[in-house]
Amino acid sequence: MSNMNGHEHNGNGNGEMTLFLKIWRQKCCSEKGKMCEYTVKGISPDISFLEMLDILNQDLIKRGEEPVVFDHDCREGICGACSLVINGIPHGPEVLTTTCQLHMRKFKDGDTIVIEPFRAKAFPVIRDLMVDRVALDEIITSGGYISANTGAAPEANSIPVRQENAELSMDAAACVGCGACVAACNNASAMLFVGAKVSHLGLLPQGEIEGRERVYNMVKKMDELGFGNCTNEAECEAVCPKGIKLSNIARLNRQFALSSFLKKDDGGLKQEWN
Amino acid sequence: MECCGLKFNYFTSSIGKKQIMTVSAFLLISFSIVHMIGNILMYVGPKYFNLYAYTLTANPLLPLAELVLASFFVVHILLAIILVVENYLARPQKYYMKVNTGKGASFASATMPWTGAIMLVFLIFHLLHFRFGTIYTTSYDGKEMRDLYRLMIEFFAQPAYLVWYVATMIAFAFHLGHGIQSIFQTVGINYSKYTPCINKLCLLLSLVLSVMFSAYPIWSYVKGLQ
Amino acid sequence: MTDINSNSNSNSNSNSNSSSKLDSKIPSGPIEKKWDEHRFNLKLVNPANKRKYNVIIVGTGLAGASAAASLGELGYNVQVFCLQDSPRRAHSIAAQGGINAAKSYQNDGDSIWRLFYDTVKGGDYRAREANVYRLAQVSNNIIDQCAAQGVPFARDYSGYLANRSFGGAQVSRTFYARGQTGQQLLIGAYQALMRQRNDKKVKLYTRREMLDVIIIDGKARGILVRNLITGKIERYVADAVILATGGYGNSYFLSTNAMCSNGSAIWRAHKRGAFFANPCFTQIHPTCIPMSGDHQSKLTLMSESLRNDGRVWVPARAGDKRPANQIPESERDYYLERIYPSFGNLVPRDVASRNAKLQCDAGKGVGSTGLAVFLDFAHAIKRDGEDKIRARYGNLFEMYERITAENPYKNPMRIYPAVHYTMGGLWVDYNLMSTIPGLFVLGEANFSDHGANRLGASALMQGLADGYFVIPYTIGDYLARLNTSSTSEKIDTNNTSFANSEKELNEEIRKLMSVGSRGKKTTTEFHRELGKIMWSNVGMSRSEGTLKSALTEIPRLREEFWKDVKITGKGDDLNVELEHALRLRDFLELNELMTRDALERKESCGGHFRDESQTKDNEALRDDENFCHVAAWEYTGEGKMPIRHKEELKFENVHLSQRSYK
Repeated sequence: MSNMNGHEHNGNGNGEMTLFLKIWRQKCCSEKGKMCEYTVKGISPDISFLEMLDILNQDLIKRGEEPVVFDHDCREGICGACSLVINGIPHGPEVLTTTCQLHMRKFKDGDTIVIEPFRAKAFPVIRDLMVDRVALDEIITSGGYISANTGAAPEANSIPVRQENAELSMDAAACVGCGACVAACNNASAMLFVGAKVSHLGLLPQGEIEGRERVYNMVKKMDELGFGNCTNEAECEAVCPKGIKLSNIARLNRQFALSSFLKKDDGGLKQEWN
Repeated sequence: MECCGLKFNYFTSSIGKKQIMTVSAFLLISFSIVHMIGNILMYVGPKYFNLYAYTLTANPLLPLAELVLASFFVVHILLAIILVVENYLARPQKYYMKVNTGKGASFASATMPWTGAIMLVFLIFHLLHFRFGTIYTTSYDGKEMRDLYRLMIEFFAQPAYLVWYVATMIAFAFHLGHGIQSIFQTVGINYSKYTPCINKLCLLLSLVLSVMFSAYPIWSYVKGLQ
Repeated sequence: MTDINSNSNSNSNSNSNSSSKLDSKIPSGPIEKKWDEHRFNLKLVNPANKRKYNVIIVGTGLAGASAAASLGELGYNVQVFCLQDSPRRAHSIAAQGGINAAKSYQNDGDSIWRLFYDTVKGGDYRAREANVYRLAQVSNNIIDQCAAQGVPFARDYSGYLANRSFGGAQVSRTFYARGQTGQQLLIGAYQALMRQRNDKKVKLYTRREMLDVIIIDGKARGILVRNLITGKIERYVADAVILATGGYGNSYFLSTNAMCSNGSAIWRAHKRGAFFANPCFTQIHPTCIPMSGDHQSKLTLMSESLRNDGRVWVPARAGDKRPANQIPESERDYYLERIYPSFGNLVPRDVASRNAKLQCDAGKGVGSTGLAVFLDFAHAIKRDGEDKIRARYGNLFEMYERITAENPYKNPMRIYPAVHYTMGGLWVDYNLMSTIPGLFVLGEANFSDHGANRLGASALMQGLADGYFVIPYTIGDYLARLNTSSTSEKIDTNNTSFANSEKELNEEIRKLMSVGSRGKKTTTEFHRELGKIMWSNVGMSRSEGTLKSALTEIPRLREEFWKDVKITGKGDDLNVELEHALRLRDFLELNELMTRDALERKESCGGHFRDESQTKDNEALRDDENFCHVAAWEYTGEGKMPIRHKEELKFENVHLSQRSYK
């Protein structure tokens, strides 16, 4: 990867780096985009990847050019706003790490870094590296909740939850909704995202009641939105910054099969869920 | 995505299609195992091999069985084509640079459509050569029957066919290497306690199948030389 | 653009008055009964009529999302706005530690009264008793509600909810979901919100930033937002407007707030007539990862639970630059343990922060910048073993290592305080309504419950209390009293108030863009400079001198901003620099009010430390005689001195005492 274009290195002795960036620039969804090349100098290994892009943008603005647009907010790895495919991997080379928590010490002086937006039919590009991930919200809207009206809740300890299930549920609930799973999937499938939500809610007794309808409606919406099909390659699991496991997709698969035949009002079998 | 404008239901859903495909795969693998075991008889001798084939073909239910088996193939292949097309369309603008992490996708998983296509071509030739191929006859204990053993020995005496069969069996190994594990995942069996073991057994099975199926042509070739 | 300093910064005249304009509407009666009786006295909206009312909610954090979900469930038509791409990104998501509730599951002496008492005391007696008591009362309902929604709280093996003690509380009352409690609570509220969206009771508008409140006939009747994708100004009309837009910690540039968090919504509301209460009350969190250099864009907080096992120290000798492991025990100063023998490393946030600053000011700071102190786990690891420490803090240690590339199991962590939360906010009455009728303010955006200092694990509690259990009652009362002839069916977005405000806004954007095409300094440079002024003058300790100097520097910077800011792109298009400039434009005004408020409040209390007002042990010294009140600032116009109103605080249930952590 390093020094791909034969540029000269000119990082100084303090470990500061010169980097060659290839960044996707695209005015809007309906216009064609292209890769543009930039050089940034004096990059400290201690800054984050987004701070490196900040430096580039400051340069661009001073030159009167429009900055590279990308989504970001909390910059501590929890809001899920940041995205980017860095050198071919969503959220870059470091495992269990969002782009905002990726630091430049992962790169070497003279490296060329390719930066692209998350790509999927369901994630149209808004500008440059910013994509529209509203599809994930649509999936949640279609059923990713427990219908507990405010005020209707019983005393919290009246519903004990197996500690083990609470932990598994929390593992899945850690999803930040960044969409890296979709970006990494060779088929742009959202199964890990949906599987995580199905597990988070379905593993709790509170969420079991609506389990069948939830699974069915979320998969229906997912299919409508143009995500691809899962081929069990596990690239999603490999890039997930929160380590959401493939077993959540397995749970989704089996619950979907059951829910298709057992959900209410389809005139079919109406049996106990378990 | 909505399949062919059909209303959403289990059979048009992404997961439903995958699971039907998986069931067909399971049945096809079961057939392969039976096929593999049956073929062992060639080592025992031409008589047993031909008798085995005769017993199968003489069964009046054979056309029905063949139809059922053919339908598994058709379902598997058609769904594969639909899913591949849908998956292609799910990312209209391809990446400028995309690499696999090495922790997820493998060569086997990435080449499923290709190894599948190779298997399809193989299947057609295999049927043309053996099911619909030259009919030699022989008779044992007064019963006339097809001499498949001879056909086989003659067929594999040609090195090109031998190479083609062994090569497709390598593709078969890759196809099953990802495919058999995938069956469990797709029907929802993935538990940290069992899955590592299941995955190893799946790999073993795909190896056994492809090694055994490669061994037959090689054995036939060697036999033919003698 | 504006020039307030000329007539104001020279004299710190106390032009404050106990105002009749501030009616806190606190119900009479004993404190335990106030909320129940008040709820009974509130007017109700007939269920069939609820669908006739439109409510706008700005912000989708804990307060906004929970309010939107609850009001949608009740049957109101709700329009929700957020500036991110999804409501789930709101910065509530970053809260780590937990949420307090007076469940007393641990049988350790907790009660509603104790939570109330601790919160009032923790806030250094600058919060309203009645509000805080209500907060403690509904805290239990919050836990019930969240558990029912599927928030995966930590559980014991029995399957019952687990608790931990947090932030130096004497009882275990904090509920948590690993180190991601804020995320899980927000996802719970977000899902409830999305459920209402599915039921068509809530309309969601993402990537839109509120830039003005529309007042018609003295009531809040709508908002103007900028569509961040198209750059167009959009008008929305309603019967009531709820702001749940969070705090203004980014006025310091570097803070633990998210990059997009800003004070514009509340500042715009303030300029339209909402009083701004206690703007100077900011909380500075002691355990953040120190900044590494000039390009730092934000700071990252680590849960203060680290102080349960970590020991804070600096080299005893100023200028000692040896690495930590080469400094022998005898040459280390465990200053918190030395100064506060009984609380040690667990002193409240403001005390821990201020002491870290004092050590660094004395030249004992560590690391390359000299702006950090050590937080050392060597003793804890020796005592409990590395595995136990890993089980407790593993994820925090990983986070620290990811950012700093240092292994905290081997070397002590370096920490430094950072701006974290703003207790100040728009003034609201007991019904959470601001001084503009029909404009309600929830969560961190209001000032109501934390006084001068917020306790750990109380921010989540307040956000959800406001959204789930207070606003659904109080907004009904307001709407029921609205003259039906003036409901939004009659007023539409063609009203002249919308047109006028939009014209003003477009004019301002046009002006910014025209300056921007010629200017030389980027918004980030201005923001960083503003942050430096604030951090060094209106930061952890403030004095008349520093505040007055800030009062000359901020207007100077503002003037420069309006002459020399560089903005590329177009005004009516996606333009992140313009977004930043618009937020910065408001910080440049808001920060001056913060400074002015800090100058007027000549006492020290909670997070507000005035050098002039300290005990002989360098502790914050309150002046209850002169400052036992809320300062609510009224905007009086461009370049005019704001008016400081006073809402006197009466403590009938809690006895005022001087905090001491010795």
